[in-house]
Amino acid sequence: MVHSMKKNNFLTTLKEMPMSIWNSVFRNNLPHTDLGRSKTSFTNFFLHIHPVKVHKHTLKPWFTMGLGLISLFLFIILTVTGVLLMFYYVPSTTQAYDRMLDLRGSVAFGVFLRNMHRWAAHGMVAAVFLHMCRVFFTGSYKKPREFNWVIGVFLFLLTLFSSFTGYLLPWDQLAFWAITVGTAIAGYAPVVGEQMRFLLLGDTTVGQEALLRFYVLHIAVLPIVMFLLVAVHFWRIRKDGGLSRPEDADVVETPEVTAPASVPAPAMAMAAASGSSGIVVLEKKHYGIQGLVRGPFTKVGNVPENTVFSYPNLLLAELFVFVLTVAGVIIVSAYFNAPLEEPVNVMHPPNPAKAPWYFLGLQEQVSYSAFWGGVGVPAIEVLILLLVPYFDRGVKGVGKWFAKERLLANTLFMVFVVVNIILIIIGTFFRGQNWEFVSPF
Amino acid sequence: MSEKDNAHEVESSEPITRRKVLAWLTSMGILGSAIVSVFSNFVFIKPRATYGLPTRFSIGTPNDYPPGTRIALGKERVAIIREGEKMAAISITCTHLGCIVGVADTGFACPCHGSRFDQDGNVTGGPAPRPLPWYELSLAPNGELEVDKGKEITPGKWFTV
Ligand code: HEM
Repeated sequence: MVHSMKKNNFLTTLKEMPMSIWNSVFRNNLPHTDLGRSKTSFTNFFLHIHPVKVHKHTLKPWFTMGLGLISLFLFIILTVTGVLLMFYYVPSTTQAYDRMLDLRGSVAFGVFLRNMHRWAAHGMVAAVFLHMCRVFFTGSYKKPREFNWVIGVFLFLLTLFSSFTGYLLPWDQLAFWAITVGTAIAGYAPVVGEQMRFLLLGDTTVGQEALLRFYVLHIAVLPIVMFLLVAVHFWRIRKDGGLSRPEDADVVETPEVTAPASVPAPAMAMAAASGSSGIVVLEKKHYGIQGLVRGPFTKVGNVPENTVFSYPNLLLAELFVFVLTVAGVIIVSAYFNAPLEEPVNVMHPPNPAKAPWYFLGLQEQVSYSAFWGGVGVPAIEVLILLLVPYFDRGVKGVGKWFAKERLLANTLFMVFVVVNIILIIIGTFFRGQNWEFVSPF
Repeated sequence: MSEKDNAHEVESSEPITRRKVLAWLTSMGILGSAIVSVFSNFVFIKPRATYGLPTRFSIGTPNDYPPGTRIALGKERVAIIREGEKMAAISITCTHLGCIVGVADTGFACPCHGSRFDQDGNVTGGPAPRPLPWYELSLAPNGELEVDKGKEITPGKWFTV
């Protein structure tokens, strides 16, 4: 008898094994209750980046336009396609260009992956810049988010530097002359300029050492630094109480049952049971786990709030943006090939020798003065960007696009944006042979 | 009794505990190794040997450059110019941001940012901050011309063959 029971137990154990394994990995089934929804966010490693509940204002598509998310997803696409490209790429001045041609001829999906990598990079520069504009025009850099803005400025610079180090790798004409000009600009920096140029090139002239150095920066140093900063960026969003929102965003549309603060939860439940909308209050009290953990920003209990569960509301919105981003990159990559110029000719720069669009404003600037256009003005611009949240200490107009109270700040930033766009347009369309002014019309 | 208490208090406000010593040693260790590693990393990535071209090189005999020649040597990055019996070696690396300037009869022009120079390398337009440098030309005993990019000379100082 004892014997048979043992056997029986073992059989049941075997039979239950798949479920035991499954349940040990996924500790919650797909949730059908609010408790389950909060647990889903709370106990899953990948989802606990989310708060349990998220403010409705945060989910409004026109508030963020999903630009930060798009930046993140492009970064992920770049990592995946980049690692794949590394299987075929050799950072050698004699081989790199041929490897680019090999991608066309003898690697399955080679061109497609290269297209995805290149267009996602262009897209990321644009998305990160637009995200920065969104944050500015909604006044979202104000207290307590000052430092997250600073981290953001560094992320923007790293994005630019990553794409710069990236387009050098094919070792075509664009690459060679971009390194030549880029490191020459570094050489204009006061005091450390020449040293910096030497460290970047690893030699006195542009060649193999420079290619290897930019390769290491591109595939290891910069992505690791960016990954860390993005992690801190996201962590701080949580610790800053989620995204910014206007003061009046917490006003609840439905009539609120206000329970006295001193009434304990069970008593409140009793009171609420008689009311119609009181149950909402009870749920908040019970499942605002994040509110208990987090402190003052998420309102708990009888404070009016306007939140929904992150699972599935926020998750679904994010996945939707992900699908859009991937689809966008795939469609562009299917129709347009990433540029590859002639192989390096150290005697003849292409004429005109133009950088990718996002550096043409800079190129236009240095065509007036190498120091001011390449070092002085950009350094001042970055410094001002970094200090923006410490200059602008006003508390009004947060969480609203183009708030009336922020007219001056928004106008100044708009001037900065427009001037840079105009410089890019001039560099792109109005410059011809020998960088002479031409009319595109 | 109270004296004893006081003494105890003074002692406990500034005691050199094992923890304090450890904390001090640890912070000095971390700070020290951080400084040393930053410094040594810079030393490490600064190459000791470079593989650039030699600064002094031969360019053939004067007869290879008949009067009226204005020719660019791409690898060496100099233009060799001959007017009658006078010769010069002028840099074709733009003094602005290092592109190679194009050589024409009327002077030099840079395709990257539009700097322009006259026939002798003086800036006539664009962002270039300095004229194109002239390098020393000399005739080696074997009758070949030599350029020394290590030695800049005053522009206009022609070499007579
Ligand atoms: C690699 C680049 C970046 C990534 C992946 C990224 C990602 C994100 C994401 C996903 C959000 C959540 C809200 C949203 O989607 O808009 C966010 C918010 C934010 N970002 Fe970024 N970001 C980047 C660069 C920047 C830059 C360049 C700035 C500004 C200079 C910046 C400043 C901020 C601030 C202050 C917030 C909080 C906004 C609020 O509370 O409304 N970020 N970022």
